[in-house]
Amino acid sequence: MTIALERPPEATAFLVDPKLRAKQKRARRRREDVVGWSFVGVSTLVVIGLSIFPAGWAFFISQKKWNLLSPAKDVGWKNYQTMINDPEVWDAVKHTLFFTALFVPLSIFMGMLIAVALNQRIKFVGFYRTAIFVPFVASAAATGILAGFVFEPNYGSANDLLRRLGLPSQPWLESPTQAMIVIVIIALWGQVGFCVVVYLAALQDIPQDIVEAALIDGANRRQVFRYVTIPELAPVTVFTAVWQTITALQLFDLVYTTTRGGPVNSTVTLVYYVYKVAFQESRFGYGAAVSYGLFALTMVVTLFMVWYSRRTKIEAF
Amino acid sequence: MALIRTLEVRDVDLDAPEPKRRRRHGLLPFSPWHLLLMPLALIFALPLVQMVLTSFMTDAEINSFPPKFIPSSLNVAGYTGFFGDSLAPRWLLNTVIVATISVASHLVLCSLAGYGYARLKFRGRNFGFFAIVATIMIPTQLLMIPTYVMFSKLGVVDTLAAAFIPWLTSAFGIFLMRQFFLALPRELEEAGEIDGLTTFGVFRRIVLPLAKPALATLAVFTLLNSWNDLIWPLTAISNQDNFTIQVGLTTFQGTRRTQWAELMAGNVVATMPLIIGFLMAQKHFIATMTFSGLKG
Amino acid sequence: MRIPRLLVGVAIVSLALAACSSSTSSPVATGSTAAPASSAAAEPVTLTLWHGQTADAAKAMEDLAAEYHRSHPLVTIKVSPGASTTDELKQKIAAGFVAGNYPDVSYTYGSWAGELAQSGHVLDVTSWTTEPAVGWDGLPAAARATATVDGKVIGMPAIVGNLAVIYNKSVFDAAGVAYPADDWTWDDFRSTAKKLTNPDKKIFGTAYSVAGNEDTTWHLWPLLWQNGGQILSADGHAAAFNSPAGVKALELLRAMAVDDKSMYLDQTGEKYGPLFLDGRIGMQISGPWNLYDLQQRKTSYGVVQLPGTGGDHQTVSGTDLWTLFDHNDPARSRAAFDFVTWLSQPAQDARWNIALGNLPLREAEKTSPAFAQFTRDYPGGPAFVDNFTNAKNPRPTVSGYDEMSQHLGSEIAKVLQGQGTAQDALDRAAAASADALSG
Repeated sequence: MTIALERPPEATAFLVDPKLRAKQKRARRRREDVVGWSFVGVSTLVVIGLSIFPAGWAFFISQKKWNLLSPAKDVGWKNYQTMINDPEVWDAVKHTLFFTALFVPLSIFMGMLIAVALNQRIKFVGFYRTAIFVPFVASAAATGILAGFVFEPNYGSANDLLRRLGLPSQPWLESPTQAMIVIVIIALWGQVGFCVVVYLAALQDIPQDIVEAALIDGANRRQVFRYVTIPELAPVTVFTAVWQTITALQLFDLVYTTTRGGPVNSTVTLVYYVYKVAFQESRFGYGAAVSYGLFALTMVVTLFMVWYSRRTKIEAF
Repeated sequence: MALIRTLEVRDVDLDAPEPKRRRRHGLLPFSPWHLLLMPLALIFALPLVQMVLTSFMTDAEINSFPPKFIPSSLNVAGYTGFFGDSLAPRWLLNTVIVATISVASHLVLCSLAGYGYARLKFRGRNFGFFAIVATIMIPTQLLMIPTYVMFSKLGVVDTLAAAFIPWLTSAFGIFLMRQFFLALPRELEEAGEIDGLTTFGVFRRIVLPLAKPALATLAVFTLLNSWNDLIWPLTAISNQDNFTIQVGLTTFQGTRRTQWAELMAGNVVATMPLIIGFLMAQKHFIATMTFSGLKG
Repeated sequence: MRIPRLLVGVAIVSLALAACSSSTSSPVATGSTAAPASSAAAEPVTLTLWHGQTADAAKAMEDLAAEYHRSHPLVTIKVSPGASTTDELKQKIAAGFVAGNYPDVSYTYGSWAGELAQSGHVLDVTSWTTEPAVGWDGLPAAARATATVDGKVIGMPAIVGNLAVIYNKSVFDAAGVAYPADDWTWDDFRSTAKKLTNPDKKIFGTAYSVAGNEDTTWHLWPLLWQNGGQILSADGHAAAFNSPAGVKALELLRAMAVDDKSMYLDQTGEKYGPLFLDGRIGMQISGPWNLYDLQQRKTSYGVVQLPGTGGDHQTVSGTDLWTLFDHNDPARSRAAFDFVTWLSQPAQDARWNIALGNLPLREAEKTSPAFAQFTRDYPGGPAFVDNFTNAKNPRPTVSGYDEMSQHLGSEIAKVLQGQGTAQDALDRAAAASADALSG
């Protein structure tokens, strides 16, 4: 509309001549394309160049038996067949889903709870906030080293504390049944800061007038939280849940720096299995195939979450 | 999905006591929230305190059992060893360079692309955006070998460029900025167009100034991620002159011998700039995070 | 939808390029054809060397390279760690092959030799090793075997070592247990470990890495051999460790770990060293690379050969190599070989190996003043040197060895942590390795 107003002669012209009108429409579209791609072009090219292009290449690798050293051998879909029948892959799927199922709800619950707490006007809130955010800046390597010190079963400080409290000491990272739970705890330690930041911001975004209106209507604080705050936070929750799920499905760093997949492979996640297969056993073709399996899994889980949130009318995407 | 609710960026003073509300604590002489926050804060902070304390211990003290929490003396051998026997100052400088380029490039490219995908109409838009979102789900391990070969053909393996090229822009950043721009009311932009501004002019003069909160958030996340990135620079850089600090730190953790004092001191040195930066920026950072409405 | 197809096209081209560049060189290039036999290069050459070392060892290597340049001005050696740890070098070299930017010389583990030789990028220096000045025969037989794949020499031994038992005298004294004698048996080892173990004080008799890698696997080999077993079948294309001898070997370790609980199981393989130094572990089966730390920490320790089976105390030796890579430049190939040969000579080895607490590379060095100093600094050192006579079987250098080692390592780890029986575990590992070993 505005364009037409700026250029009255053309405006009258295209009313007259349908051919000219079509031509002009084409010219405008072309201009839009140029402008549009000049905004998104570089970024899109870089992302595609650094992700989709290598991923396409990796697909070819996934059809080969290749250790990088000897010449690659074509094996067709055999790597994918091997994957379906590989019990270690299914174990890794189990461990990955177990981690995700614990980590995502807990990080969201804790993030929300801590954010609500930090949103109170109480003393020391600056100290609390700093203490809870700071682990978020620590690198995975530093986190792994610290976890090693804290959870060492014989000599670590976690058991030292249990002993002082008169509780039985635990094997932590050295027990096949506990190791993954400990990794969840470590991941929460490092990542809850992210959820808290997001929720804290969202809480400050809830319009005060809605809250006050509810209070005037006789709602108590708990009811306000249940019927005002939580629905207001729903879109953030969906976003955070999807984001944390994608992160959780790709868990690698913490496993690498703490247990290396042990004990008895109980913490081998899918990405760690890819690393193990490709970089330790030099089976790059098979590693690429398993990566594609993980990609499919992530896609399915993510699409399900988006679909579910849409169905329940929470518009986060 | 609205990432901000209001246009004015409220400078929230988080520490200011709230004027109106009266407090009833019930049986406790203090707010019950302290019962939750105090233990949590200690649990979250203690391991990092332990890291700092450990960095002043000797190797023997670090490995002594039961573990020591307080060093017997302020032993700085870890720090002198870390700076003396290695290229640590150089690694820190490299990391600063990588992080600076990453943040600057992220701010420019992600805001441009985010705006393009949020507002502009052009052919291939949906395809481009879908491709970008899909990359979020690709496990990075899948990409390492092809990327390495590609970088090698481009001649950037073993250079600092290998460390920052993957951080020039990111799907997360584009996505974040797009969500933010989608939430802005269109009226201001339309006003700008009527005033005769080009699309870029609207973006530069009207949209960007409003985007400061989102840009600050993007900057913080990019800084953290590029600073702490390990697996990729570890693969791409063999020349120790071009190590980043995280790669350099792994050289203290050998297969057969770990130099604990140096490793802990190095981790403190590598983490401290981030912690200090975070402490200085946090008030502003959290205040500007009010972008997160994420509402329809 | 057009874009992906374009990308696919590019991908195919790139892949084809990669394939071409690797197929141009013959499987094992012979560097000896054109190069002059003399060590002085006629034109300036620049070599790249990856050492994968840290701290003192890295420093020593840089000094040696600089010194070599002073005496051989035409040869410049660019020294770098290549990767942050030795373990990561393999991946770096492999990626380098694909991308075409690998070094001339790299430090490598002996267990990688087979795979590296298959790459088509390593030199065959067999003919050069016969030159008297090289002193090839003065190197330990096991080390020479590791550097030789299918009859072709691919590099020079860099560091040699073997497994023996290092014991902490303070732990023995505190428990009132006699130090091990040279003629001890595995039963003695087991009962000693049991006596040293004290659950209240968190002291373990011995330790074993359950990280599930080569460090887990190769500690089993001496036991396997002593019981009469073999790692591979005669033709080298199948696993043979799942024999009664293998079961007996693994069963002993299982009994110590699970029944006696006298064995500290180390998940990452990086903790038992420090724990030993701190007097939490009485005995560790390990190599000379601990000597430096033992001396630094002034630990009171002793070294004794491995326990025996029927008087057989054989051990496994480990050799790390300077592997030489082919760049289709005879002058560079020769210069690289000359440099690593120079490194292996007693004068240089005294500074590279002996000064850092590693064993001397050559028997001849045992009479040198540097070795006398070594004996004073590292009282356990001579026992490791003598232990080389117990290294009778070489570790295989076939190309599937490294993958097999990962499979077996994780199965051993399972058994030691109380899951499954020795026979099942070994059978599973053998089956999983079949594909890799078949060639």
